[in-house]
Amino acid sequence: MEIGFRWDFAYEIFPALIRATGNTILAAGIGYLIAVFVGLVFLLGQKTSSRILNMITREIVEFIRSTPLLIQLFFVYFVLPQFGITLSAWVCGMLTIGLHFGTYLCEVYRGALEAVPKAQWEACRALNFSNAYAYRRIILPQAFPIAIPGMGNYLVGIFKDTPLLSTIGVAELFHAATAVGGYNYRYLEPYTMVGVIFLTLSIPAAMWVRRLEKRVNKAQGKTTR
Amino acid sequence: MTRFFKVATVLLASVFTVSSVQAETLTERLANGDKLRLGFGTAVPWAYAGDNGEALGFVNAIALTVLEEMGIEEHETKVFEWSGLIPGINANRSDMITGGMYILKSRCENINFSDPIGVFGDAMLVPKGNPKNINNYQDVIDTGAKLVTGTGFNTVEAAKKYGVPDSQMLLVEGEVGILAAMKAGRADVAVQTFFGAKEHEAKTGGQFEVTDPKLMPKETLNVVGIGFRKSDEEFRQAFNAALAKVMASPDTMLERAGKYGYDRAQLPPPSMTTEWACATK
Amino acid sequence: MNYLEFLSEHGVTLLFGTVTTVKVFVCSFFLFLIISMIFGLMRLSKNAAIQGIATVYIEFFRGTSLLVQLFWAYYVLPFFGVSLEAFSAGVLALGLNFGAYGAEVVRAGILAVPQGQWEAAHALNFTPAKRMSRIIIPQIFPIILPPISNLTVELLKATALVALVTVVDLTFEARQINSITWLSAQSFGTALLIYYIMARFALVPFLRWLEVVAARKVGLGDH
Repeated sequence: MEIGFRWDFAYEIFPALIRATGNTILAAGIGYLIAVFVGLVFLLGQKTSSRILNMITREIVEFIRSTPLLIQLFFVYFVLPQFGITLSAWVCGMLTIGLHFGTYLCEVYRGALEAVPKAQWEACRALNFSNAYAYRRIILPQAFPIAIPGMGNYLVGIFKDTPLLSTIGVAELFHAATAVGGYNYRYLEPYTMVGVIFLTLSIPAAMWVRRLEKRVNKAQGKTTR
Repeated sequence: MTRFFKVATVLLASVFTVSSVQAETLTERLANGDKLRLGFGTAVPWAYAGDNGEALGFVNAIALTVLEEMGIEEHETKVFEWSGLIPGINANRSDMITGGMYILKSRCENINFSDPIGVFGDAMLVPKGNPKNINNYQDVIDTGAKLVTGTGFNTVEAAKKYGVPDSQMLLVEGEVGILAAMKAGRADVAVQTFFGAKEHEAKTGGQFEVTDPKLMPKETLNVVGIGFRKSDEEFRQAFNAALAKVMASPDTMLERAGKYGYDRAQLPPPSMTTEWACATK
Repeated sequence: MNYLEFLSEHGVTLLFGTVTTVKVFVCSFFLFLIISMIFGLMRLSKNAAIQGIATVYIEFFRGTSLLVQLFWAYYVLPFFGVSLEAFSAGVLALGLNFGAYGAEVVRAGILAVPQGQWEAAHALNFTPAKRMSRIIIPQIFPIILPPISNLTVELLKATALVALVTVVDLTFEARQINSITWLSAQSFGTALLIYYIMARFALVPFLRWLEVVAARKVGLGDH
């Protein structure tokens, strides 16, 4: 078995890996959208008028946040069919990622809301704005830019967690690398190329998020040294 | 503060130094007192780990009987994802592959096999009653059914060879993944070893049934060998010698492997040798 | 079988797996801390080469997926002459990956120490090394502990991945039990519970206690 990096093999498997990268980006994107929505649900679930509902939501959020995504994936994939709910591996993966990262985004939203100066809330009350109006016109437009860097970071984070989906058979990039590596009995080239592809995609994304963060900080009046 | 770092560094140094794996041949390492490492996946009844990591399954049973004959009592077990078995042994992660690997030309290019320990066939797993009447790869192509099998399985190569399009293939992790996909209805049919399919039929109480292996293409009859690194030739020869002795009077082996369903029908015919399999499969 | 029967039959196996999980966690936690400190400081070095190395390291390990790094450490590294046991490969990948994130936190923490402290050290003629080790570093702990705590909980969850490279931890045992008995809800559910208990009722209180101690040492806590 050759020890050196076989460029001919790498060239041969490159198309399959690139095709699978499209799946990875799709999986990350859809999972992220679900997470954005679920995060909102969890946030609202903790601000209802019922103390019990708030507490239950809080406990659920804590539970999902404190346990590994990998086991949550296995749970959804293996257990749901046993209760008659059979979803494709893709849907299982998207839902679980959405749930898991939804709990993180919920915290981002909470942090962003709390960062809005108290004076804004007081002004709303003084001007007799209804809760809905206050949120819609005053609070959320100020909270949103604050939340963006956190949300951007988790988008990159979801992208880097997509390889976990391969353990339940979702045909994304890492799964393709394992399949082609298993078929040819060589892991060196497939896994190295997966690493390179991830780097090429996530470094620009991370830089873009950091630029967003700087812009938001400047707008907020905070400067970095 | 600094004391903490000193303690941490010492702890980590011990973790990393005690754990490097040397690159001598297997015979040398065993002579030095290292334990033999059996590598396999989770494939009932071929090879799987027990609650305390014991090597169960008939391939393990046969391998351990031969090792006993060689005077090697101690061993360690390592459970891999199936497609990691060959990369794993070549990366010095295990010393013998007892997953129950068919001897195939593509595999012979990467590892060496012992003489055959048995002859086996593939079969398909379908829902009870075989509603789509699928019995081989051609049926899969004709009906447009979704075929599931494990990454790194011989059946992936076979399916490609017989023309099953990629769009109809679903690749999952091992036997467990295959049954999960079938139970959830994510695939219409699974292709795996006959023994693996039988195990799944039994486990689901007949919810799925095994097709007749004779309806599969004749070439899917394969021999299984124990996998070794190409550099461990000396050990492999010794293993083959002991295997020949065990096969000559196979009663102990049959008794131990028989617990998992292996019987005399599996004993390899003399015409199907490792060299033949490496050249033709 | 009901849940209690499941626990009596498989509970011990899961607990043995948990012990391995804790071992992996503790070792990678130490590595994570050491690397965070070293590379955080390197990132602030005036020496372009040192800063460059640190930046490359951080970008590389933050830019690739942990699972890919782990598989690489286990399956590919041996071909470069570095053959570590599965446990060590796992600890290495976890420590290096989280260390990259931790380094950024340490860097931000050092920069957040009030400007006055730097100036006072300078006025008192401290050498740069003494200034860093005696004045600045001790003050970063209350600042970095919240984000480091978050990373630590993430680290505990991330240890689950080492099961995929043959390390016999809690996740591995749960998968094994599932593959033999198909009691998926019980096996994975119990695993989830154990991780939850470890994170919520052991790790987080410990980290909170560290924050209190750090705040007190710097004089920010209640006197």
